[in-house]
Amino acid sequence: MHKILVANRGEIAVRVVRACRELGLGSVAVFSECDRTARHVRMADEAVAIGGNAPSDSYLRIDRIIDAARATGADAVHPGYGFLSENEDFASACRDAMLTFIGPTPEAVARVGSKTTARQIAASAGVPVVPGTDESFGLDVADADIARAAQRIGYPVLIKAVAGGGGKGMRVVASAADLQGAVRMARSEAGSAFGDSSVYIERCVERPRHLEIQILADHHGTVVPFVERECSIQRRHQKVFEESPSPVADARLRSRLADAAVAVAKAAGYTNAGTVEFLVDAEGGFYFLEVNARLQVEHPVTEMVAGVDIVHWQIRIANGERLTLSSLDTLTPKGHAIECRVYAEDADAGFLPSPGRIVALRTPEGPGIRNDGWVEQGSEIPIFYDSLLSKVIAWGENRSQATARLRRALDEYDISGVRSTLPFSRWLLARPEFAEARFHTNALDELLQQRAGEPFGGLDPSIEEVAAIAACLVEASAATTGLPASNEVRGRQWASGGNLSAAPSTERSWKALARKEGLRG
Amino acid sequence: MRFEVETGRRRRTIEVRRSGGGWTVAMDGRLMSVDFTRVNDRWSMLVRSVEGDQGSNAQASEPSSVHGSSYDIAIESQRQGRHIVHVDGHVVPVTMGVPGRWRSGSDDDGPGATGPVSIVAPMPGRVVKVLVAPGDAVVARQGLVVVEAMKMENELRAPRAGTVADVRVREGAPVDANAVLVVIT
Repeated sequence: MHKILVANRGEIAVRVVRACRELGLGSVAVFSECDRTARHVRMADEAVAIGGNAPSDSYLRIDRIIDAARATGADAVHPGYGFLSENEDFASACRDAMLTFIGPTPEAVARVGSKTTARQIAASAGVPVVPGTDESFGLDVADADIARAAQRIGYPVLIKAVAGGGGKGMRVVASAADLQGAVRMARSEAGSAFGDSSVYIERCVERPRHLEIQILADHHGTVVPFVERECSIQRRHQKVFEESPSPVADARLRSRLADAAVAVAKAAGYTNAGTVEFLVDAEGGFYFLEVNARLQVEHPVTEMVAGVDIVHWQIRIANGERLTLSSLDTLTPKGHAIECRVYAEDADAGFLPSPGRIVALRTPEGPGIRNDGWVEQGSEIPIFYDSLLSKVIAWGENRSQATARLRRALDEYDISGVRSTLPFSRWLLARPEFAEARFHTNALDELLQQRAGEPFGGLDPSIEEVAAIAACLVEASAATTGLPASNEVRGRQWASGGNLSAAPSTERSWKALARKEGLRG
Repeated sequence: MRFEVETGRRRRTIEVRRSGGGWTVAMDGRLMSVDFTRVNDRWSMLVRSVEGDQGSNAQASEPSSVHGSSYDIAIESQRQGRHIVHVDGHVVPVTMGVPGRWRSGSDDDGPGATGPVSIVAPMPGRVVKVLVAPGDAVVARQGLVVVEAMKMENELRAPRAGTVADVRVREGAPVDANAVLVVIT
């Protein structure tokens, strides 16, 4: 393996390019029109334009990504998460093109990627599953059939995308009246996020905690599980905070979850990095939820408590190497790690997406802090993709130190130009529920409902005074010097000629350049 | 220079003038010496009250004599006279006025009980669904248009009951922030 094409964008593309660099491997970025100047493009050794802004015209275009790999002489492909990461056609296309797909085989992707098949595999491996439909509902299935299935399982139910993950294409339905609309929304979101609008239905387990086991599996039959991650703090099924170890898992639950995860992975013929997700009820009983056949957003949490680089191992496993980690080590936490996801969303406006240009940025640093991001001052946050700006991961000797470090880091972090979820995250971190680890997967939504839209960044009057003075000084400086005093915010106009149109021949000339570079490599 | 400034629900009159390398600021009868210096994309702000000390230190020319509360400031200028000021990471919207010519409130009229109401896109995105047609009667909070941005679908609802007078977008069309989508009378 010499050169890896990273079939993704944003922070995860940056993360994978870093791993390539560390392992002495070449890297190829792909990009849509609006990402032409993005961080991952500049970081990689080479870059190939793969089409327009809509994911379906670029990051979901298997043909163009394979062409880009051929043109640049890449011999492996890392899919990141989202986009094509759990698409078996993509994994197959890579294999057919003699490219090493850094992930499980297409067959394993298909087995666990179908949430319904994965449930059958888990059940056959003796792992308990949440009651739900064995079949999936494509667009051709009548509403009445879906309604019957939901009735049989019993409300409340969850509508989930068969190809899904990350909370996309997922809806809770409390009663039959809301089913049809929820199915439509879930299908529409699933279709645009995963290119497959099939859904299935699962019983909604009341007040569960979400625990998951990261695994690594090589091509020689070794499967290594890691200490569990807890991801119970979710807003509408989107993980907000993730931590490891779980504040509630004892050694017995840890080893039972790890055993179950290894059993599922082995039954599925799974290789490379993956995550087996579980719901844990108040009595400590657990249910298999799904397998995420990819590197996960929250993988750094495990990296910090295990002292292992998961992306390095993904690449080494794909290259045929044997795992040399022992589960005795990987199941022993070294300290505590907590991750906070930071999104370009306005929490005070109901978490409305907030695309735009970053005009000023101060990122957190210092002891125990890792910030995996992709934005810089001047970055344009496009409307077409997920709104994740970065992940702040804090490591501490124990949970309270990790919490204190995360709090300090979030206070240091300042993003100007778009609204971010930082004020919301600071608020959440200061809640007693967080300190006492009293939460389940619906707890945050309940808390938010109680707040009824009260703003998150409750302000000290002295802070308002300082802000007022600063605004006057900026205007006065501008008036007396004639220089632009502050950072003008002018979001790009997407509808009216907002395309970042370089020379019309951009794609061809980039490819030609990439080809030349490929010959050199 | 004299400014009227609004933060939260409070209006203040603030007067600033250059003084040595920094500024003298008068606010609510208090006098402050402020060092306000650009550092890349942000500002460093040092504030010291000078009331009662006869300005002896304020006249010192050594920058190291500046001491007091320190703040990290970043400023987003949105429209004329509107800023979002970040103070140590806290986000504060600030509206500027000049005495006698207050600028706020005029261009942000909320929906009234009568008259046409425009439903505008709260962010740039793509229209995935238009749920009403001209002539439709709608009730308050009824869904009108679904706009998608960053993979999340957001349903925009009627702020009050009325009749759909105009639908200015079609499904699949991209829209800019503040574009009028639907008009209700």
